[in-house]
Amino acid sequence: MRILLVEDDLPLAHGLQISLRHQDFVVDHVSRGKDALNALTFPDHDMVILDLGLPDISGLQVLAKIRSKKSDIPIIILTARDTIEDKVQGLDFGADDYLVKPFDISELTARLRVIERRLGTANSAIITVKNVKIDTLAHKALVDDKAINLSKKEYMVLKTLIENAGRIQSRDQIESRLYEWGEEVASNAVEVHISNIRKKLPEQFIQTIRGVGYTVNH
Amino acid sequence: MSIRRYLILILISIITLVSFIAAIQGYKASMLKAADLFDAQLHAVSDTVIALNPSKKNIKVNNQDNLAFQLWYNNVLVSKTSNAPSVAISAFKQGYSDDNFDGKRWRVFTKQNGQLWIMVAQSIKPRFDLAEKVILSAVTPMIIIIPLLSVIIFLVITHGLKPLNQLTAQLKHKKINDLTVISIENASKEIQPVVDTLNRVFTQLDSAYEREKRFASDAAHELRTPLSVLKINAHNLQFELGDDNQLLNHLFASVERMAHVVDQILKLNRSNPEQFSQQMQKVSLKKLVQQVIGQLYPEMINRHQTIEFNDGDIFIKGNDFFITTMLQNLITNASKYTPEGGHILVSTQQNQGQSILMVEDSGPGINENERGKVFDRFYRIGGDCHNSNVIGCGLGLAIVKHIAQLHRASIQLDKSQKLNGLKISVVFPQLTSKNEELLG
Repeated sequence: MRILLVEDDLPLAHGLQISLRHQDFVVDHVSRGKDALNALTFPDHDMVILDLGLPDISGLQVLAKIRSKKSDIPIIILTARDTIEDKVQGLDFGADDYLVKPFDISELTARLRVIERRLGTANSAIITVKNVKIDTLAHKALVDDKAINLSKKEYMVLKTLIENAGRIQSRDQIESRLYEWGEEVASNAVEVHISNIRKKLPEQFIQTIRGVGYTVNH
Repeated sequence: MSIRRYLILILISIITLVSFIAAIQGYKASMLKAADLFDAQLHAVSDTVIALNPSKKNIKVNNQDNLAFQLWYNNVLVSKTSNAPSVAISAFKQGYSDDNFDGKRWRVFTKQNGQLWIMVAQSIKPRFDLAEKVILSAVTPMIIIIPLLSVIIFLVITHGLKPLNQLTAQLKHKKINDLTVISIENASKEIQPVVDTLNRVFTQLDSAYEREKRFASDAAHELRTPLSVLKINAHNLQFELGDDNQLLNHLFASVERMAHVVDQILKLNRSNPEQFSQQMQKVSLKKLVQQVIGQLYPEMINRHQTIEFNDGDIFIKGNDFFITTMLQNLITNASKYTPEGGHILVSTQQNQGQSILMVEDSGPGINENERGKVFDRFYRIGGDCHNSNVIGCGLGLAIVKHIAQLHRASIQLDKSQKLNGLKISVVFPQLTSKNEELLG
């Protein structure tokens, strides 16, 4: 996957390039908003990592210009501003994700992997948590390398949990993912799906955080 | 008392008083003038009578006549009008005097001409009638004009005080954190400097707020970007040197610690009640608690801790960012100071209109004598040799306290009955229309 990194702080850009190359991403770096817009006139890149504090045009304007050209290239925003207003603004302008500095490189790569899988450009479509695997190309789940039988919705719920392994997914979040896939969601659908999936998976694989949501852990 | 009422009352009183004093003075002056005229008339009549020198004993006059005279020669009454008595109406002394006869009071002029004495009398009543007429015609227009004048004064003063009223109204309706300038139409010379000074103060305060806010976000940018560089390069070094390099782990821990301190100092600065100018909205505690637990969960898994939320959905008037920060600090503290494998319980509760947020843990708790100090900046129990061995800078609860102040909430520290550790309760006040107004 080829990433366009738009960052004016050269040491940060340099460090990020090295990190991302270690993770087998191809990274092109520009440090000004205009250069980013020029680079994006050619469809060379699969996604953009965009710093909001650029010297020439603000990152938000760059974001708005990209989106005004009907481009739906995934964009992750990097910013030192952490207020909710900043975040909401960034997402309103059409960013796919938002990371506040100083971030963990593992967090950035996890989000890049999610986008990669969504774009279907991942080298490996298989995500593993403990002895459970899902194959995001074949839409299948495996326990100890043996395929298990999940309905389409159950697979979606499990995929959401496994993609976000180590993080809690609230009932609302899982519900909204089901909506995104154009499914009608009954009020207790998530609970029903979880309870069905649990019967087919190792015990304690999906954990309930009372009052918050569900999670799977490495 | 309002300036308007004061001015109207005092002006009308003064005008009334001065008008009446003037009327009385005028009355007195015209009375004197009238007396002179009447006296001159008496004088003329006496001269006429002497010149005519009548000898008729009793000259018939109408009883109602206001004029009478007596003519004496060698102390013998030679002639008199019918309304005059037969005895002398006045003393035989030249000049004017006031005397009574015929059941009335008279003004008498006595004059001697050799052996001849003339006494001319005129009833005093016409004088009083005249005086009454004079005073009435002087006072009547005033009595009519004073109410009219009051209305005019009222209108003029109301109009004159309009800029002042506008100023008062604008200041009264200003929200606590609204620092926009005020403008007054047709401000007078006296009001304009007040408006100008106020606007100067507002503008200065506003730009000071802006500077503070910008400082926090500029500082955030200036500190967070190099911290990111440190973090990423430490990560890259780790990639090259291998996972278990002791020195590298120290570096990671220090970078992490510094990032934490920077973050907390910025939040402490930003949540300072004196610099607060954020808007408050209706905030769902449930949504924020779930978000924050979601964010912090990876850290809790690392420490094999379990967390639970009672799922109570209550709403408070607050600011998303600060409530999130408060929850982050409370739950992070609970996790940090609870040993591995511990349990954390977050609950919300509505009690007599108050909204209560509680965070309990199964950790060691805080001794009663330490409870007052833990909210001080940079205070850590046991100082630098904190026995929990966790990263901290002693700002977490100071920030929580700031944020509680912003929301007019109170904080209580107790021993948790359920988990035996610390229980922190944040009590948000009942939402009345009054404090909604205060919160803007």
